[in-house]
Amino acid sequence: MRPYLVILKAEIFALFISPSTYVATFYFLSLLGFGFRFFLESFSFTDWILPPLSSLVIGLLFGSPALIPFITMRSFAEERRLGTLETLMSAPIESFVLVLGKWSACYLFFLIITCLSFCYPLLVLIIFPEQGINLGFDKIEYWTGGGLFILLYGGSFTSIGIFASSVTKNQMVAGMLTFTLLTIYISLMAFSFGETTHESYNHIYNIIEIGLGNLGNGLKKLEQFSVGLIDIATFFNQSVLIIFFLVLTTIQVNRLNR
Amino acid sequence: MKVENKPMPIIEVINLKKAYGNINALKGISFSIGKGEIVGFLGPNGAGKSTTLRILSGIIPADSGEAKVCGVDLAEEEGQVRNHIGYLAENNPLPEDLRVIEYLKFRANLKGLQGSRLRERIKIVLDVCDLERKVSERKIGNLSKGYRQRVGIADSLLAEPRLIILDEPTIGLDPRQSAITRKMMERLRGEVSFLLSSHILSEVEACCDRMLILSHGQIVAEGTLYELQKKFIKNTIFQVVAVGKKIELQKKIRSIDSSCELIEDDPVEISGKRRFTFSTSKGESIAEEIIRSLLELNELHVSEFQITRPDLETIFLRATKENWEEKDITARKKAKKTKNHTPTGL
Repeated sequence: MRPYLVILKAEIFALFISPSTYVATFYFLSLLGFGFRFFLESFSFTDWILPPLSSLVIGLLFGSPALIPFITMRSFAEERRLGTLETLMSAPIESFVLVLGKWSACYLFFLIITCLSFCYPLLVLIIFPEQGINLGFDKIEYWTGGGLFILLYGGSFTSIGIFASSVTKNQMVAGMLTFTLLTIYISLMAFSFGETTHESYNHIYNIIEIGLGNLGNGLKKLEQFSVGLIDIATFFNQSVLIIFFLVLTTIQVNRLNR
Repeated sequence: MKVENKPMPIIEVINLKKAYGNINALKGISFSIGKGEIVGFLGPNGAGKSTTLRILSGIIPADSGEAKVCGVDLAEEEGQVRNHIGYLAENNPLPEDLRVIEYLKFRANLKGLQGSRLRERIKIVLDVCDLERKVSERKIGNLSKGYRQRVGIADSLLAEPRLIILDEPTIGLDPRQSAITRKMMERLRGEVSFLLSSHILSEVEACCDRMLILSHGQIVAEGTLYELQKKFIKNTIFQVVAVGKKIELQKKIRSIDSSCELIEDDPVEISGKRRFTFSTSKGESIAEEIIRSLLELNELHVSEFQITRPDLETIFLRATKENWEEKDITARKKAKKTKNHTPTGL
């Protein structure tokens, strides 16, 4: 446990002293805030059936490919460039613990940004309570559902970022790879949104869906989460995805030292 | 009957093998290192030095063979060994954004040091490695090569390891900085065992108790400098500085030792004296006898007499040359065999 905490602390420290993360966070939160304000202004003219808070979650989800690479690209790519991975592995620490520590730090940073973005609806509720209540910002189930959804997907997104960082020595390449993988992932969700499934292979599809991690129907699940309906299968398959990419990263780290 | 309890060696390696694809980096090496010993690991580039050190540090696994470090079997508890050793990697990679003190705190934490013990150990290693306060506050990226090397060594000393493995510790250091590294090892001599690889032979000669010479993944020589001198240099070389005729001197020496041969005859500046270099196969025992007889000859005016011992460089070249030659012969035999087996065309 101790080596994990040491790595976690060091990685958080490294993220906080890195200017790139501040720049990325600033632009991300600014754009998200602007978009959210625009959405609230035009909300009454749209046929949006979900709670307005879900628009923020969608903003976070679709904005992730632009944010997560800045958080994760440094973790292993920089170690590989400097050659410090060997020095790190000479200390009494297991490679999975190292990967877990680095992922946790990135994930924690992502959660901080998520929390900051959730301040927007909170501010609306505090400053304009009447409008805030009308928009459903006082409903705890909306906050919990939306928060949990982004918590789960943030975990798998950061694990993909960590994996991408371990396959190259170049931070930029790691960043671009993360962006590409996340864009493909989100595109799959967007393209398959609203598509009906055939009854004949519905059962098989369900098994794959549970196992592989809602690759196809993430946005469909968001509909449930945003009204406070928690889907246990999403918990399971996102955890599978996180573990899968963390194990892949561990294999890669071990391979690098061979 | 008295039973002698032999202390357990810090490193015990038996028939260790490692291959990278088709390349056999280690072809079954065996050696052991005792407590408090400083052992130099020598060998040409690609001999397998770094591979051996990385295996012993628990960073990479061996393909086969047995290796025990501080009593820990590497095959069974690879990670466990890292609790007992300090390791300085080749080229000493360090994070550039951190300050020296921050880096040492991070490493100490990672090695399980806490609270007052952590502070005390950092203070001690900064002192041992001559990293004054001003340097410890600087960013590693802004440090000179020498200081960076010292930071790496300080890191390896942090957890009071029983064994310190240093891969090229003095590479790129100026003589003063190399001397500081030597001084550090001298301070810890007896308490900690050192295994260091180096290309700087004078460095190894100056501070190591014993040497291991590796070539093509095999140990080609092992022992103290004296043992290696005896093993690889069969003839004893001695020099005589005298005024007089070469023939007379030669005659006198030959009368004592008929195998003795004159190798060189050089003038010594403008003094009129000459430096005669002889080689004998009868060893150093004959030297005493020769000098006694030369002193009897008044016309020779012998002013200097010394036995020159071959340095480590000579031994290193001799030991690795033998291995190169063996490899060459094997390769030629193999080529010849292949040629003979190749079917002739129509």
